[in-house]
This record gives sequence, C-alpha cells and structure tokens, in this order.
Amino acid sequence: MKTMEVRLNVNGEAKQWTIAPGDLLLDVLRREGYFGVKRGCEAGECGACTVLLDGKPINSCLMFAAQAEGADVLTIEGVAHGDTLDALQEAFLDHGAVQCGFCTPAMILNAKALLDRKPHPSEEEVREALAGTLCRCTGYRKPVEAVLAAARESAR
Amino acid sequence: MFDTVEAFYRPGSVREALRLLQDGKNRARVVAGGTDLVVEADRSIRFLIDITHAGLSYIRRKDKACVIGATTTMAAIENSPAIRALAGGILARAAATCGSVQIRNMATLGGNLANGSPAADTASVLLALDAEVVLADAHGRRKIPLNEFYSGLRKTKALIVEVAIPAPPRGGRWSFQKLGRTENDISLVNAVAGLQLDSKGRVKWARIALGAVAPTPVRAVHAEKLLVGRQVDESALAEVCDEAAREARPITDVRASAGYRREMCRVLVRRALEECAAGTGCSL
Repeated sequence: MKTMEVRLNVNGEAKQWTIAPGDLLLDVLRREGYFGVKRGCEAGECGACTVLLDGKPINSCLMFAAQAEGADVLTIEGVAHGDTLDALQEAFLDHGAVQCGFCTPAMILNAKALLDRKPHPSEEEVREALAGTLCRCTGYRKPVEAVLAAARESAR
Repeated sequence: MFDTVEAFYRPGSVREALRLLQDGKNRARVVAGGTDLVVEADRSIRFLIDITHAGLSYIRRKDKACVIGATTTMAAIENSPAIRALAGGILARAAATCGSVQIRNMATLGGNLANGSPAADTASVLLALDAEVVLADAHGRRKIPLNEFYSGLRKTKALIVEVAIPAPPRGGRWSFQKLGRTENDISLVNAVAGLQLDSKGRVKWARIALGAVAPTPVRAVHAEKLLVGRQVDESALAEVCDEAAREARPITDVRASAGYRREMCRVLVRRALEECAAGTGCSL
C-alpha cells in the first residue's frame, strides 16, 4: 500500500501522520483516537462526523485526509478549555439536549461555528446551522434552546 | 473505501492539473468538494487530483456580468455580495438550498455541474441566466453554453475551470422554486423563471428552466416562446405552464413518480411566473 505524509493542526496541536492517499479524514481522525468524530452514514447525510476545518463545519466522511494538509481541524475533544466545559457544552447539559450523545459533537461544533461567526443568532439561524446534523433521540428543540441559551450567556 | 488509490495530488495550477489528468489516463479523477465523488466510491480510481489549490476559487464581477471559478463553494456563492446583487440573488438562493451547512462548505459550483445530475440546484438557475462554461484541456480553453456542456458531458475529457454569467437583462424579474422534502434536500423538481416586461406589462424576454424533470436540467423553450409578447394573465399562465409540463420528460424513481413530477413542474412554473409578474420573486 502506498503511503504519504499529512501535516495538520488538530485541536491546536501540530500533527504529522502517515496516511494512504485514499484515506478519508473521518477514518484517519478515528484511527488517531479522536472518537468524538462519529461514523454515521458515511454519505454526508447525517452530519455525525462533523469537524471544523479552518473554522467551518464540514463532513469528515466526504473529505480525503490529504485535503486537510496545512489545515486547522477542531474536533469535540478540543472544545473544552482544560477541565472547564465550553458554554455550549454546559448549555447542552443544562437543557437536557443530550440523550444517546451520538449527534452531540456535531451539534456543538456546528453551533460553535455559528456563534463564532454570529454571536447572537436568531432561532432560525440556529435551526439552519443544526439542519445538517440528524438526531434520532431528543429531536431538535432542546439543542436549539441550548444554543440560544449559550448565545445569551456569552452576552453577559 | 478508496484503498485502490495510489497517489493524491494537489496541483497549484490548472496547467499542472491538466498534465496530471492526462498522465493518469482514465484512472485519474478530479476532486474538489468530494461530496459526490466520495459517495460514488468508484473503485477504478488510482489517482486523485485535488484542484482546490489550482487558483479556481473566485467570484469576479465585470460590470453587470460575473465569472465564478469552478472550485468556488456553495457557501461562498451564497454569501457573495456580487452574486447576491446579480438577478435578484437567484444563484445565491439556489446555492443556499444545496445541502446542509457542512455540504455547502465543501461542494463546489464546478462539481455541481460536472456531476451531471438533472437535479443540480445551481444548474437550472445558470441555464436561465444563459451561463457559459469555460473548459480547459491540453489544447487550450473554450467557452460553451451550459446546455451544450450537458449534451456532451459524458464525452468531454476537459476540466471545468469557470462559469461565466452574462449581464442579465435590465429590470429582469427572477424566481427560483424548489420542491424537496426539506429546505436543504435534493430537488424533486425545481423551476426557474426570468422575465423582462415592457412598459405595458407585456413579456419582452422570458426564460424558464426546469430541474429534475429530464435527463439533464433543461430550458422549456416552447413555453418561453408562448409567453413573449403577452401579458402574464390567467390564460397565458395556463397555456405556458401546460406547455412547460409537456416539455418535461420526467422519470419515476425513489423520490417521486413521473406523473407527480410533471404535475409539480406545472405548479412550480406557475408560481415562478406569478412571482416574476408580481415582482415578488428573488430579491435577497
């Protein structure tokens, strides 16, 4: 099997990994232990594999790992500040927005990308940001409330 | 899944990309956003050529006309002031429905066309806007109308480098209508209308384009002709929408039956024309 090197930043740490040229970013991240990046549909439908690439949410199941060369990747593992949860993570807990947890990393990363760009979004903008992440447990109401609450929290 | 891939290239120019494509013969594939190519999972691919660093991500306005580089993402199109100002922002509107936030951050305009899906959301809009596609191969560049591009899609070995949109007619009114299960879903049917009216409210210029009702996105040229010179009144609407539905050649698939698609084609064309006539269509 042919291999190549890819250099990127994951959660602020510089990484250099040996990959196969056809490896997908999802597979490489999980192989390297980032299990918060979930393997769902593998067809770009469910959004569970979402990571932020240079601040923008993408489906890591649809991107070749080689395409992440030089990029900043943020996974759910990099969202908390040491032992302190991010305001979004706290809000998801406070609002009961987590049930099985499979979609939660993607929900939070999509919400983070939105709030980083737009600190005070409307409910419609929150719904739009979460529309690419499918939840089969709680539905969307509690996650939407949690994101809006986190946005209010940051205003204080 | 892609364990047959032997090399991944990231050319920094179109020239280099073309050379790699030629060297790779039929076993090289171009990748940009990957949202179609990865799902397709073609096991014959040996070489991947990522063109997202080849200088093709740009939107340039030239007076009222616009050129868009092939690897420009749907998100960039949707948020571009130049595209939002063009033809009521109809292309930005279509790009904004082209999948989830994540997909729109990855999917590119060139890819939406190259994939050749009759349901491509941007394609019917680009047809209505008389867009041209700039193709590059070893012999140079050539510009062809979008409908010609579709008729030769399976034969061409060229690379899409740019989409050129000419200045839309002055005072044009536009509408984009999409029917899908959700806001971000693939189109079951989509319809685009563009109208220019004279001072008496008669149609001077008309474009009607349809998506997901034929093997490729198509213009309903007979319906357009029926409309020119007339007021957009009830009798014109009924006749034109019937004609558009007749021009459609839909199929039955998992998403909808042919009969339903034809009927929805009639409904969406009517809504699009009504919006254009009322001036309540696209204005982002």
